[in-house]
Amino acid sequence: MHKAVQTPDRLGIRLTGRGGQGIILSGVIIAQAAMYDGRFVVHTQSYGPEARLGASKSEVMISRWEIAFPEVVLADILLCLSLDAYLKYGSQVASNSLSVIDDLIGITAPAPGQVILPLRRTARDLGNELSANIVGLGALVAITELVEVHHVQQAIKERVKPEFSEVNLKAFTRGLELGEQWHASA
Amino acid sequence: MRLVQGNEAVVLGALAAGCNFYAGYPITPATEIMEQMARMLPGRGGVFIQMEDELAALGAVIGATWGGMRAMTATSGPGFSLMQEHIGYAAMTQTPCVVVDSQRIGPSTGQPTMPAQGDVMQARWGSHGDRPAIVVTASSVKDVYDMTQQSFTWAFTYRLPVVLLLDAVLSHMRENIELPAVSPPSLPTSADSADSEDPYKPFGNHPFVPFSANTRTIVSGLAHDETGNTRGAVGPASEQILRDSLSHLDEDYQKITRHRNYRLEDAQWLIISYGITARAARAAVDILRESGVRAGLLELMTLWPFPELIVKSIARHVQGILLPELNLGQLVLPLRAAVGGLCPVAGLGRADGELFTPEAIAQAMISHSRKIERRVSHHA
Repeated sequence: MHKAVQTPDRLGIRLTGRGGQGIILSGVIIAQAAMYDGRFVVHTQSYGPEARLGASKSEVMISRWEIAFPEVVLADILLCLSLDAYLKYGSQVASNSLSVIDDLIGITAPAPGQVILPLRRTARDLGNELSANIVGLGALVAITELVEVHHVQQAIKERVKPEFSEVNLKAFTRGLELGEQWHASA
Repeated sequence: MRLVQGNEAVVLGALAAGCNFYAGYPITPATEIMEQMARMLPGRGGVFIQMEDELAALGAVIGATWGGMRAMTATSGPGFSLMQEHIGYAAMTQTPCVVVDSQRIGPSTGQPTMPAQGDVMQARWGSHGDRPAIVVTASSVKDVYDMTQQSFTWAFTYRLPVVLLLDAVLSHMRENIELPAVSPPSLPTSADSADSEDPYKPFGNHPFVPFSANTRTIVSGLAHDETGNTRGAVGPASEQILRDSLSHLDEDYQKITRHRNYRLEDAQWLIISYGITARAARAAVDILRESGVRAGLLELMTLWPFPELIVKSIARHVQGILLPELNLGQLVLPLRAAVGGLCPVAGLGRADGELFTPEAIAQAMISHSRKIERRVSHHA
């Protein structure tokens, strides 16, 4: 387990990307999975003209106790799927944070805690780049063990339209593999 | 346990309260309320209608109530401004209904997707003339559910439009909540007993009775007496209806005003907050306590009638009060009037579309307390 999730309370997760990449949906899926884990969760989202193709974000707070302030200030865990989102949110992270960043953003010298993975390319190989959010989710879950795998699968089945369930479950599995490969190589 | 969005909680709370009519016009950040009402009401024997604008939406709600339904609408600032005319009409005609306003930055179109608390005065005073008002707010998804349900009860008990103020963050926020199993209350019926009354009095201090086939009820925004008669010297009778409504609220003031205390027992420094800002204020109290400042939070859930008695009773025991709100100084005005010099009150406002962080509130409380302590030591 990564040290970012060893903190006993209040884990702040920020998922970022470009409007249309399914950032909000992936936040809802994490929140729902964490709820099945028996935690308190709050999910918030940015929304609006800037979220339609501009940088978009979705935040999940997870805690063993009731959560007072609902928004994430400095993220413990960050997912980044687009360059503009990286420029806006990439540095707003806590110390000991973990960031999973898509390799097409083109970061050549990752900082400590930054994990660069082929999320969009993997999604493209699966036949739908729009599932990059779920690939990213899989990678995050494998690296941080932030929620139970089967709870994420359950949440995907409940929150994704039935016709897209299979492709998203496959994307999640591929993401888990990416995360496990990273663990093995790290 | 369910993961529920704030706007969805409005719908669930309303259905639990027996809501069976919704008329509206979509607007960010309240649109999901309308979408889900459109999905849920028809299958339950209810009525959903999208109107041409917000004036018409509240007009339809008022009509539906008189037709015997439990009706509501939801909007945001620009639509709420348009609704002021019919809020006054609902008040004048003593029509129970619920209006949800998910606040965004104003004035005018403002910032549609960003949270605000700038409608707290408009919710009380936005329509012309005097009127009784109940305005409530919420700081969590569970609160939204509870307060929506409660709003319907109060709307019918006091025969007025009840306003529930949310904001763009709370509307779109999801939390896991336990929803109680409820059986919806029975709908208001056009009681036949009303028909035997001579003369039939549909207004004033009588329970709300919708239209029936056997009774002729005149509903008018013109000043009227208890029978609905608008002609002749109805001025004093009309004023009496208003005075009775206002004193009904006064009598039940303690029942209506809801608040929540957090670490108040030994608090020297008081934060008063409401709505989404109360979440940051709660975390700010913990930060202050950790650094040795004895802070406490009074969270207001009822904004109008303004809970001046509870404010006053706590103000006696603290050295200073801070009220953070997402506007440039609104609820701080009745707060100052209620505290009446018992201790120094500072407001903290912002209207840029961002929430206060707990740290910002804690910092403001510390500066407020330092200023007061300097003043005290200067006088000593």
